[in-house]
Amino acid sequence: MGRPRIDDFGTLSPTVHSDQNILQFREVTVRYGRLPALRDVSFEIPCGESTAILGANGAGKSTLLRSILGWQPLASGEIRIGDSHPQHARPRMAYVPQRHAVDWDFPITVRGVVEQGRYPSLGLFGRLSADDRRHVDRAMEELGIGDLEGRQIRMLSGGQQQRVFLARALAQGGDIFLLDEPFAGLDLFGTEELVHILRNWEAQGRTVLAAVHDLAIARTCFTRGVLLDTSLVAAGPIAEVLSPANVDRAYRQGRCVHGHGGEAGP
Amino acid sequence: MSLHDLFIGPLSYEFMRRGLLSAMLLGVSGGLLGCVLILRRMALMGDALSHSLLPGIAVAWLLFGTSTTALFFGGLVAGLLTAIGSALLSRLTRVKEDAAFGSLFIVFFGAGVALISRLPTRINLADFLFGNVLGVSVGDLRLAAAVSAATAAVFILFYRSILLETFDPVFHRATGGRGGLVHMGFLTFTVLNLVAAMQTMGVVLALGLFLLPAVSAYLWCDRFRSMLALSIAFATLGSLFGILLSFHAGLASGASVVLCLGAIFIVSALLSPRYGAVVALRRGLIPRRHP
Repeated sequence: MGRPRIDDFGTLSPTVHSDQNILQFREVTVRYGRLPALRDVSFEIPCGESTAILGANGAGKSTLLRSILGWQPLASGEIRIGDSHPQHARPRMAYVPQRHAVDWDFPITVRGVVEQGRYPSLGLFGRLSADDRRHVDRAMEELGIGDLEGRQIRMLSGGQQQRVFLARALAQGGDIFLLDEPFAGLDLFGTEELVHILRNWEAQGRTVLAAVHDLAIARTCFTRGVLLDTSLVAAGPIAEVLSPANVDRAYRQGRCVHGHGGEAGP
Repeated sequence: MSLHDLFIGPLSYEFMRRGLLSAMLLGVSGGLLGCVLILRRMALMGDALSHSLLPGIAVAWLLFGTSTTALFFGGLVAGLLTAIGSALLSRLTRVKEDAAFGSLFIVFFGAGVALISRLPTRINLADFLFGNVLGVSVGDLRLAAAVSAATAAVFILFYRSILLETFDPVFHRATGGRGGLVHMGFLTFTVLNLVAAMQTMGVVLALGLFLLPAVSAYLWCDRFRSMLALSIAFATLGSLFGILLSFHAGLASGASVVLCLGAIFIVSALLSPRYGAVVALRRGLIPRRHP
């Protein structure tokens, strides 16, 4: 599959080999106390595609992201990150937090947040170099927030706020972008903006993994899906994953909700 | 009264020089720590922590007398016990962390007051609680200088880690930051500074030197770095005028520092051009045009 190579952010660029799986889950089980949050989950994420992590509340979406980032000890199984591609021996994770997890009143500007993307590569005593600044400028430019660099982050629209954090992830030069509920709390306009950006990223062959609530959005802007109900319901191309039977299994646990409207849908 | 009498006169007394210098030095570190405290919404926890130092200090006094080192370690142990104890309580029982902290610190504080009220010596409970600038010894001043320098050095060296852990701890940890370490270090430095500030400010009022300058600076600044700088400026100025006020008006030193810082805070809260109350009310009064 010939996809365009994306701009070289950082030293690593997600080159496109869809046959390469950059992320592999093998029979992963995670427990909170005695309650399993993920049960025997196995799937693979090909490099350069966008994948939606789907499922009802408590199905393990966040746990899955957290376990990839390494904050969630696994009860059993393994997560293999990286593939045989020489540049992907240790891929870097770029994480975009949920909107409600951010203190929007924090005394920080747009540029200040995007610069944070460069911090991990600076070590303890390094200073931002001209090269780092260029990364920051390019990330802001790509997401169209260059004019806003001096603004405090509260003084932005919802879509702009989301783009600031996406720009930070870009400035980081990540190989895998992990987005935790990126659509939560966005208005209609912000949602459209983000759909547009994610489609672009998809076309550029960036590997994106996002926890998503809204099935319609998942269908329009992700090519693959991982549907969870603590255990894996389905993984693969989004249309197959979101077949009526699978959705029914994941969201309704076999209960009938078509009857008298007494019960809310997903 | 001439300017000389106001500012230079008090400095002819050695205890005033020591007290003033000590308060201003701790203003630097308190101003820095306060910013992190309020941005992480730990203001009330800091308050609880400061109260909980009392029994440690009382026990140290009982065993070792006026030794600065002993008081310091006594306070440190009591503060850390409260922090670790409430962390354990919230994890092992149903009690949430804020309730655990609140309950534990009040028990500690009660124990401290009980101990001090039984002390056979002529020391005064009020000095412990509200500070007495007359009591600042050379050892206290050295302690204040060391703690202040160490805190400032940590903020300079680990500026980025501190900013990340404060703004976005999840991102910090995701990118390999040692979040737990930064958090523990932060608590430890808060206790260190509280103990060092105890002599001039008293355990109950010491936190004012941390919180008030930081929350005032928060009302003016849109950048973390400038907030830190302004907070230091407010804290040192407030200490200077507070100690002078306590000298001229014969007030408890901790209380007068807190009053000066409180004045800065109230002015900031009312008049800050972007985040103040006056501007918010005015905006409310002028009807918005709807498109």
